[in-house]
Amino acid sequence: MSVEGKSNLSFRTKLFVTMMLVVSGITILTLYFAENRAADSFERELKGEFQNSLAAMHQAQLIWHTAIMERCRILVRNPRIHAALEDNALDLLYPSAREELQEIVMVRESGVGGGDQQSLRAKFYRFLDREGRVITPPAEINAGTLTLREESLLALPHIPATPQLGYLPLDKATNDDIFEIIALPIISTETGEVVAGLVLGFAPMDLGSPEPGAIKSGIQIAQQLHLPALSARGRDALNQTLVTTHIDHTQTNGLRVEIDGVSCLVFQQLLNRDSLYPPAHEVCLYQIDRLVQRQHELRWRIIGGGILALGLALLVSGFLAARLSRPVEKLVHDSAENLELRQQAEAALATTNRELHRSIRFSADASHQLKTPVAVLRAGLEELLAKRHLTPEQCDELDSLVHQTYRLSSVIEDLLLLSRMEAGRLKIEFAPVNLSHLLDGWLDDFGALPDPLSLTVTTEIPPKVYIAGEKRYITLILQNLLENARKYNRAGGRIQVVVIPEGDRVRLTIGNTGRAIPVSAQEHIFERFHRGIVGEDIPGHGLGLNLAQELTRLHDGDLRLVRSENDWTEFEIQFRSATEEHAT
Amino acid sequence: MASRIFLPLFLICAVLFSAKPAHAQAIIEGHVQLPKSPATTVMNQRYSVITSEGVVSISPPLAVVYLEGTFPVPKPTTTAQVVQRDYTFVPAILPVQVGTRVEFPNEDKAYHNIFSYSPAKRFDLGRYRGDERPIPSEVFDQAGLVTLRCDIHDHMRAIILVLATPYFVLSDTAGDFRLTGLPPGHYTLKVWLSSKTTLERPVDLQPGSTQRVDFP
Repeated sequence: MSVEGKSNLSFRTKLFVTMMLVVSGITILTLYFAENRAADSFERELKGEFQNSLAAMHQAQLIWHTAIMERCRILVRNPRIHAALEDNALDLLYPSAREELQEIVMVRESGVGGGDQQSLRAKFYRFLDREGRVITPPAEINAGTLTLREESLLALPHIPATPQLGYLPLDKATNDDIFEIIALPIISTETGEVVAGLVLGFAPMDLGSPEPGAIKSGIQIAQQLHLPALSARGRDALNQTLVTTHIDHTQTNGLRVEIDGVSCLVFQQLLNRDSLYPPAHEVCLYQIDRLVQRQHELRWRIIGGGILALGLALLVSGFLAARLSRPVEKLVHDSAENLELRQQAEAALATTNRELHRSIRFSADASHQLKTPVAVLRAGLEELLAKRHLTPEQCDELDSLVHQTYRLSSVIEDLLLLSRMEAGRLKIEFAPVNLSHLLDGWLDDFGALPDPLSLTVTTEIPPKVYIAGEKRYITLILQNLLENARKYNRAGGRIQVVVIPEGDRVRLTIGNTGRAIPVSAQEHIFERFHRGIVGEDIPGHGLGLNLAQELTRLHDGDLRLVRSENDWTEFEIQFRSATEEHAT
Repeated sequence: MASRIFLPLFLICAVLFSAKPAHAQAIIEGHVQLPKSPATTVMNQRYSVITSEGVVSISPPLAVVYLEGTFPVPKPTTTAQVVQRDYTFVPAILPVQVGTRVEFPNEDKAYHNIFSYSPAKRFDLGRYRGDERPIPSEVFDQAGLVTLRCDIHDHMRAIILVLATPYFVLSDTAGDFRLTGLPPGHYTLKVWLSSKTTLERPVDLQPGSTQRVDFP
């Protein structure tokens, strides 16, 4: 049972484990993909958000630039400026321009920059001659104060045909800003050739608001980063990173960096493509710590949800496993039981077989062992009987002894027969036997025998009733029953023999008067060695009815007690009928 | 257009030389090889001032031929005019003697604002309409090239070539010229082609002679 139990448990466990593995696998895969999708969409969202902000910023810048360009385009068509440039009157250039430029230039007396950052007006301006060299303004004109170095940075190799965008980092002493410079050509209206250039300097549009999480933007030019929103240390670190990393200028994915302990995404974009001025990159910092935190939260939530789902799955699969394994368990259990039963049966069968063979051998041996000494005994006694000098009493004595040996022999024979029948070694050779003839023969014999009880015999035997079987065994059966009818009778009694053919059966009833068999004994009369109270004083050995019944059964027939009461005992035998072919 | 230049010029010359005996004056006539003009259309024989790479010239090209040297220079008595008509200056080039007063009448309905930044004469007449009196004018008392512009209309250009000599003439479109009433002596004949190019040739004038000088 314990083995059963273990295999039970292991099956259920196996089923459970398998289900759990499958469910876990699916859950983990789903979670993994879900998380990836979430991460992707998060990044996309982030990028999208960022691109939108950038686009908005650039849109604003574009509009601003367009406005400036438009103003400047009108400006450079000014005849006085042309006159100053073409008619050998450069000294009048700045004074003439001052009035014209009033609309787009707001230069404070104190210098460049500071104050009104939101103004769209230029903070300084310089003219360039035909070769792109800077024309220094006369002292009395305030065109915005620039150091010589700064001024030299405004120069170009030649005056461009289209407006050029550049960035000018001011010397740190004056101001840490980077100014946006736009160089415009001054084109002669008559020849269409470029005669000079005008450079306007604007303070960059301050778009970064101080709210956290917004974009901080700055400009990197000539490997120097100008990002006022960062601390000096952070700025240097980022500058170093940018210089060494060489972010691809067209990259749309940002670079993740840690600046001042805050995780940020860095985007870099070239501001003045194809410009004659040195390239400047716009560097935008996007603080993502809040978003990263959100991402982490999301991840934990997903994991939590996953664990919950797994737990639920655990319960459900446990339940399902138990339910599904029950019939299987039952099957295993039953088959185990069946196996046991079968094994038991087989063992019993084997035992029975052994014992049967043993008993057969024993019976055979026993019978043989018994028959021989009996024969010897009989022979010896008969020899003694043949001696002349015996007294009549001695002869009677010897006679009865011989008679006893015959009896012994018959018992042994019967036993042998019985044992052979039980072993299944008795085979009947079915042949038609004339029942009427047999009965008549017996009746004749009966008439010849001494009849102390003065019995009358009534018969109803139709002639030529044939039954199937072997003659000698049928004789035995009949003799047995008829002897019993005679022996267990009373004085002046009657024996009745009736034969009734009924189709394929022949019924033979043998009835006799005499003391009835007690009801309690009626069940046991066919048992071996049963004598019953009645037969205590009647000679016999108790095998008769048993033998008769067994023999009858072998003949495909049956022997039974019909009734035994009120001074009448009746037995019924049924035989298989046969047709007269080789009658004996 | 050329005739309109010629006539006043000739009158001036005639007046200037009227005091001298006619037979003592020399005449130079010749031909100047004019430079190829750029492909600008000349509408109604209109001339325009071209400033190209810092070089001022006339298109189609004209030459101003003048005699330079030490001789008595009478004061100019007549006034010249540079008219604003149809949003252009007429004439496009005006050679005058140093000290000449030039008037700038506005014959257009719109305002004009004549000014010049040239070192020879810097002036700004301010905005004025045609019916305003007096007509704004300037005296050009320094020799040199003066570029006239209009502050309102950037395309309006004219040149006043202020010369230190009373003996000058504009060539015709072919490049032929004829200078009359010249004093005898040894002088230099100059040809102004553009602000960059001035050709010169020494000449020796005999009284009553007619010389032919060709450039090149």
